[in-house]
Amino acid sequence: MLQNSEVASILSRFPKFEDTWLGLSYAPHMPKHMVKETREVIAIARKFNEEVAKPLALKLDRLTHENPDYLPWELVDEANRWGFYTMWIPKIFGGHGYNLPSMSCFSEEVASACVGIMNVIGVHYLAVTGLTASGNTRLAKKILREVAEGERSGKPCTLALATTEPGAGTDVEEVDLVDKGKVTCQAKRVKGGYMVNGTKVFISMGHVSSLTVLYAYEDTKHPSETTIGFVIKTGTKGFSFGSHENKMGQRVCPASVLIFEDCFIPDDQVLFNSEMVKKITNKPARDISQRYCDYVVSATRPGVCAFGIGVARGAFETALHYASTTCVNGRLLINQEWAQCMLAEMHKNVILGRLAYTEANNANCHRGLYKLLQSKPVYYYLKAMPRFWFDKVISPMLDWEITVRGMGKILFDAAKPQDQRCCSGWASMAKITGTDLGVKNCQMAIEIMGQKGLRHDAGVEKMLRDIKLLQIYEGTNQLNRLNAFKCLIAPQVPQAQVFEE
Amino acid sequence: MLASYRNDLKPIADLAQSFAARELAGGTGQHDRYPFGEFYDQVLRKAHEVGFLGAILPESLGGLGGSIAALCEILIHICETDASPGGIIFTQALSQNLLLAAGAWNLTQISPAAASAKDLLVAFPVYTNPAQTDSLPIAQKTGSDYNLTGRLELLVLGSLARQAIIPARLGIGPSYSFFLVNLDDQNVEKSEPVFTLGLHACPAVDVTFSRVRARLIGEENTGHQYFEKVSPEMNAAAAAMNAGILRGVYNEAVAYSQNREQGGRPIINWSEIGMMLASILVKADVAAMCVCQSCMELEQKKSGYEIRVSAAALHIAELSCNATSDGIQILGGYGYMKDYGQEKRYRDARMVQALLGAVPFKKLDIIRQATNTSPNNV
Repeated sequence: MLQNSEVASILSRFPKFEDTWLGLSYAPHMPKHMVKETREVIAIARKFNEEVAKPLALKLDRLTHENPDYLPWELVDEANRWGFYTMWIPKIFGGHGYNLPSMSCFSEEVASACVGIMNVIGVHYLAVTGLTASGNTRLAKKILREVAEGERSGKPCTLALATTEPGAGTDVEEVDLVDKGKVTCQAKRVKGGYMVNGTKVFISMGHVSSLTVLYAYEDTKHPSETTIGFVIKTGTKGFSFGSHENKMGQRVCPASVLIFEDCFIPDDQVLFNSEMVKKITNKPARDISQRYCDYVVSATRPGVCAFGIGVARGAFETALHYASTTCVNGRLLINQEWAQCMLAEMHKNVILGRLAYTEANNANCHRGLYKLLQSKPVYYYLKAMPRFWFDKVISPMLDWEITVRGMGKILFDAAKPQDQRCCSGWASMAKITGTDLGVKNCQMAIEIMGQKGLRHDAGVEKMLRDIKLLQIYEGTNQLNRLNAFKCLIAPQVPQAQVFEE
Repeated sequence: MLASYRNDLKPIADLAQSFAARELAGGTGQHDRYPFGEFYDQVLRKAHEVGFLGAILPESLGGLGGSIAALCEILIHICETDASPGGIIFTQALSQNLLLAAGAWNLTQISPAAASAKDLLVAFPVYTNPAQTDSLPIAQKTGSDYNLTGRLELLVLGSLARQAIIPARLGIGPSYSFFLVNLDDQNVEKSEPVFTLGLHACPAVDVTFSRVRARLIGEENTGHQYFEKVSPEMNAAAAAMNAGILRGVYNEAVAYSQNREQGGRPIINWSEIGMMLASILVKADVAAMCVCQSCMELEQKKSGYEIRVSAAALHIAELSCNATSDGIQILGGYGYMKDYGQEKRYRDARMVQALLGAVPFKKLDIIRQATNTSPNNV
């Protein structure tokens, strides 16, 4: 009916086909085995919920109120025993190499029992993403093999990621804002490394992590061009913790203050800096900062959506149970039409949110950070080859300079800007959707349950406290809306300017 | 707020404002630690001394003898700073109102010069409408008195008061009656204070009654009539609490956004923040006007005023739940921390929303009243 060229022309108009029907585009490229693997991941999560998360959720939350200094050491041990800190680390780095989108499904499941407990696991992968998205295979391998060793030895080795500063939250999440922001964490070049001074705040799991991926700036007046990534061990001289924050919810997952006072970090713990970037690409350092930032948030924000939808589901399931077991005026609530409609609305919210993170993950698989690992040849190669092959043959190659540069080229030089925009925009859309719907469901559950819902022992009030944080971290939902506009809408409107108000 | 229209409320407004500034500001975080921290006996004692625990109780009975407008004025100013003492004042007003409505104040044997707050307090399950609760305690008549058996959840002030108003059923069927119970009775078993979403310093306990002697309030099976009689005034009081919370949300959000910088300038100068602040201000102002109008409706008692006041309370509660969420959002990560007031308001707003029963039932009740539909049909 239409010529191919005409179809292509029509579909290149806004909204472009390839930016919109992402699942449809990715489906032919998706390894079939991912389905079986994802089913297994969900089953593991449900087993973990029954045996660990559900019995502990309210107990630990209450404990954190009784003792605000509580730190979840035993929970980290438990997650380590279950293998959760290596489950989504690629096999070439010593992990179990489960497919990356399956982590969102896992997150939804565990967050439906307790999003705080999920965060105790999930924050580690935020830092793993920060590590691997740098392209520095040498340092990533070194650190991630320590994580794997931690699992084998039973002494957990987990990662945190430190971005936010006391005077700069939203600013450090967005390269277009950071140069105008008040960043103060400075890294000064000294012989053999850097001397870091400054403070980071709201760092999830800071106190209980073995290593922290840290961002500091050589020139705090021009941070977008002088960002340096480090990996620093807990206990390093000059690196200490302040108090951990007294949060409204997600209390089992501490938010720490990290203090750096003349903290020396040697060159071999530098994840990236401007010198390393120059060896890879001629693109301006600011563009590379933007690309790196986009990679990280594109991968992690769908996860936050999954957290939110997990809580939305928890609220729905709690309200459903209440309505199924509570009579008002002699009739079960579940048999009252208004309750049925509210429950259907809550279930709809869960389904919509799940679609949002699935589609954002499809974007990453088809056009973003997951593209390499989730392509059929690489996926099946990694599945088929035995572990010793990676440990003995592939692993040493990750130390080669050519590998580091090659990975940098793939990530920062070869990737198309429009692909990154698509992934980043969808990630923001998913994050807003999942977390806003999560808040809605918790509010509806509280309303359905009346006075029962107000009690800590009923569970849903904790969800209402927990969910709110998801609208704030990984970029406030306001920032994410602007990013979604910037990535998905503004390119169609030449006169549109973002963050230029 | 109301005082700007009515000069007679100015002294009570000033008193409430100065009480909030002197006794509450700066201590809300500590007060909110309860039941894991100390209870603020001192604040309760001072609230009693200034008369807030008997705001609408006639002077002849030892109260301030204030109107519902006076109670609302107090609640607005208190809840702007800390809604927990507002919850105590609300519960007290509800208990006293109900006893007065049933002509049963004398049952309490509270002297006009009650020495301590405990003597004056009367606990009440404020988060439920007993008509919509199938599992009330059972009452049995024994001579001139009654025995109560059963369990009641979230009896507010149950850990502090000597007496409580307990709804109970005398037989099968939806009707219920109110009873006055001595909580020091050895057959009353009280739980530890229940850990709730918010209003931590307005504590509640679960109570189990095992053949506890109780005195009937008013007449048998007329509990719903007394509850409906006091509901309009108490709806206005609940609306005033949320109006206060809204004012607090707005004040803190504006102050923060004037000082916090993002992208090199105060965040108040970013238009999206401006929109959010405007939205909170609209809600706070609308709430204030709704409270004023509700008080006027309660004084004039024109046909259908009960529905309009109830509608105002529901509307303001919804505004408050939305605005408290935005209030946190404007402060970002700091808004989520207990060092600031916004997270507490987010929790407290939902507690206030649940006063007098669950939202869906309050909505169905409105339409039932407005259309004279049988409860069974909705």
